[in-house]
Amino acid sequence: MSRCSLSLGLLSFACAALATGAAQTDPVQTGAVPMRVPDGFAFVQSLGGIDEYRLTSNGLEILLVPDRSAPVVTFQVTYRVGSRNEVTGTTGATHILEHMMFKGSEGYDDARGNGVKQYLEHVGGEYNANTSVDRTTYFATVGAKDLEGYVAIEADRMRRLLLRESDRQAEMTVVRNEYERGQNDPDNVLIEDVTAAAYVALPYHHPVIGWLSDIEHVPIEKLRAFYDTFYWPDNATVTVVGDFDTATILQWLKKYYGVYPRSPAPIPDVYTEEPAQIGERRVTVQRSGELGSVVIAHKVPNGRDADQPALDVLDAILSSGKSARLYRALVDSGLALSASAGTDLHRDISLHTLYAQLAEGATQAQVEKALSAEITKIQAQGVTAAEVERVKQQYVAADAYRRDGTAGAAAEINEWIAVGDWTLYVRFPQLVAAVSPADVQRVTRKYFAPDKATIGWFVAEPPTEHRP
Amino acid sequence: MKAWVLSLALCFCALPAAAQMAERARRAPVAGIDLVTYHTDVKDVVVLVGAMPAGDAFASSGNGAVPTLTGMMLDRGTSAQDQFAIARQLEDVGAEISYAVGPQSLQVRAKCLKKDLPLVLTIIAAELRAPALAAAEFGKARQQLIGMLEASLQSTDARSEEAFARAVFPQGNPNRPHTLEELLGAAKAATVDEVRAFHAAYYGPAHFTLVLAGDVALSETEPLVAQVFAGWSGGQAYREGAGAVAAVSTAPASGGAEIRIPLADKTSVSFLLGQATDLRARDPEALALQVGTAILGDGFTSRLMSTVRDREGLTYGIGAGLFDDTLTAGAWQIDATFVPTLLPKGVASTRRELQQWWQGGVSEAELALRKRGLIGSYFVGLSTTTGLADRILLTIQRGYDLDWLDAYPHAVDALTVPAINAAIRSHLDPAKMVMVEAGSL
Repeated sequence: MSRCSLSLGLLSFACAALATGAAQTDPVQTGAVPMRVPDGFAFVQSLGGIDEYRLTSNGLEILLVPDRSAPVVTFQVTYRVGSRNEVTGTTGATHILEHMMFKGSEGYDDARGNGVKQYLEHVGGEYNANTSVDRTTYFATVGAKDLEGYVAIEADRMRRLLLRESDRQAEMTVVRNEYERGQNDPDNVLIEDVTAAAYVALPYHHPVIGWLSDIEHVPIEKLRAFYDTFYWPDNATVTVVGDFDTATILQWLKKYYGVYPRSPAPIPDVYTEEPAQIGERRVTVQRSGELGSVVIAHKVPNGRDADQPALDVLDAILSSGKSARLYRALVDSGLALSASAGTDLHRDISLHTLYAQLAEGATQAQVEKALSAEITKIQAQGVTAAEVERVKQQYVAADAYRRDGTAGAAAEINEWIAVGDWTLYVRFPQLVAAVSPADVQRVTRKYFAPDKATIGWFVAEPPTEHRP
Repeated sequence: MKAWVLSLALCFCALPAAAQMAERARRAPVAGIDLVTYHTDVKDVVVLVGAMPAGDAFASSGNGAVPTLTGMMLDRGTSAQDQFAIARQLEDVGAEISYAVGPQSLQVRAKCLKKDLPLVLTIIAAELRAPALAAAEFGKARQQLIGMLEASLQSTDARSEEAFARAVFPQGNPNRPHTLEELLGAAKAATVDEVRAFHAAYYGPAHFTLVLAGDVALSETEPLVAQVFAGWSGGQAYREGAGAVAAVSTAPASGGAEIRIPLADKTSVSFLLGQATDLRARDPEALALQVGTAILGDGFTSRLMSTVRDREGLTYGIGAGLFDDTLTAGAWQIDATFVPTLLPKGVASTRRELQQWWQGGVSEAELALRKRGLIGSYFVGLSTTTGLADRILLTIQRGYDLDWLDAYPHAVDALTVPAINAAIRSHLDPAKMVMVEAGSL
């Protein structure tokens, strides 16, 4: 199931005080200690314990989140490029490029014994990278004393990646293996097919990992062009969460990222718009398996839209915990093994999905009907004040939970950067706190018309091969 | 190298989460439970993890699905409240409680705000001590388990793991699982009376370890635990020695075997290669084998990832590790996935790297770098309350005193190349390893 990490993460958002500030000069309040803004930086705003700066020479966006409860730091770079920026023939290029970013840059390369993997594993860092429809992200959590070394490597590969054809050849088969692992899971195939049917024009149509033929054939020149188009400081956000000194980290960022100019050409945006859906769409995946499943998808607004908080409350009412409506209607009743609701928040039109895995003896038609009935019920009767209040209290608890550790907070900020407004990391819980039962009913009526649905069934066929 | 470890220790010692951890932890028997409380600097958050001997191994010759079904029944109501009333109380405050059944343990996990700890502990105590175990709910749990098992029948990972464990662990070993089909049959035949009997026989405080970490006040926690668990009795010990595997000099029954599990419509093959060992995690040579194994197969710089994935592009993921060795001697294995067409090359490369590592051992340079990485990642792992609580529980389950929390980095730093290479040669033998492939072969 393509469950959006953002929609899961939203449960841990804070209700911190809103303190939006216009761009300002020194001195500024960072955490508890006033400081002068160092030369070369513009202070943009401070919100909910996050200080936003801009490296003035090249437009690099910087978010600093001091937290000294443990001697570790998470350093994260988010590039505003994802599979939405790909076209036919280059699907999956963003993701392959993400892999190639670990193959060496001019200053740091495995062959020289100082590559990014070598450095991070030698200092015991927890690190990875991932790609989504709207962004590509590189991150590591390291001991505070090991941070500068990682900043230097991360900055070097922003503009000095080697991108060797020999590396592409080896990495192409790695990605192909990754693709095939995903295809092993019928539900993964089902959600890919539903997504492809739901989006006709927007590039969200194709999977982030790309189509297999593109993965296998995309030439190194196209990867190079992709890199040279999107990997620039003014298309990136650095987020630092944890135990650091603000003046020192800004000094490092200037030292290592300040050597680059802005992108020589404007970063291209996607101007394609999704046409209105004019009727229900259906897809079926048929292959070996034991249990079927059902997905009902609806397109909903972008992740920044004012209706998203109400949609998030709706999803929690439908699927958060045993009190949730889908659990009672489908799981407790014996129709499904599991049932969930969530929204994959995007920079452009997002996708809301209802999902259920069939219990033995249940049919796709029964489960689809039961899923739809819960939506219809809310459209007709609304939700209760108690249900909405329960969700709000869950946000309060989640606010405390997300302060435990640095990597989780960085990952959540990352998703809001991807949809186009990091301040929603702070503001979204406040917007949820203002949601009323009427809001939930209104958005359910507005976005969940049957003729706007894309419905997918996984129909499990009896295995042709079984035990030896 | 030594100087670096010292400086790292100093760096972390300045901070409470890692400074003299054993001294910061309070461990005491409370209401018959082995209770550990650890206060950290996180605000308002409390994490609870616990484990008791009530896992699958305790089914003995009885119905193999009953331990899991018993665990699944815990959050389905108590003698005092139905499951929805309990769920509402937890969801109203954003608290989470979950249970999981493993080969030997029932594990409980919870997270809540400090103010809600009394509520959460009260509910956990009620669910463990007096679950409703109602017939109607049992029917639903059984149906869910049957569905999950059926889904696993088509999982290349589940099928390969089951085959591997059954090949390397002999009858009577607590790590030896039932087949999925045996479990399916057992689930279908299980009765609520069997679940009630299992609960009565195995659930109790006698060998229950409970860890509370985070914003906990020691003065309040122990009286609270004492209150909610007062008067509870029962519980049985872990089966540490039952069916223990023999040393490598006497090969396991399936030594050298190759097991192929054909599954239709699978685009990726799950691959396992390994053997049982005669080591528990706390045994003197176990740490040496763990660190040597990390050099072979932990992370991108390990030999397997840097060659089979990075240089040859044959897999997305490959690694090596020791498993199921917390409570009894466990297994050593390499796991990987391969596209079917690359499987022969992938297997050949994996075997080549394994053989070179086993025969040639690890180098001084590899060990120096690995020590630094392992110690660094140990402290990074302790930087969250969940990571800390899990580490404390694991430390106790492995049979260490809490002093081990502070001693571990020093023990890693003290390892030598000869000790690691001797452990590799003493406890492993590639010629006796079992290979499993599951997928569309």
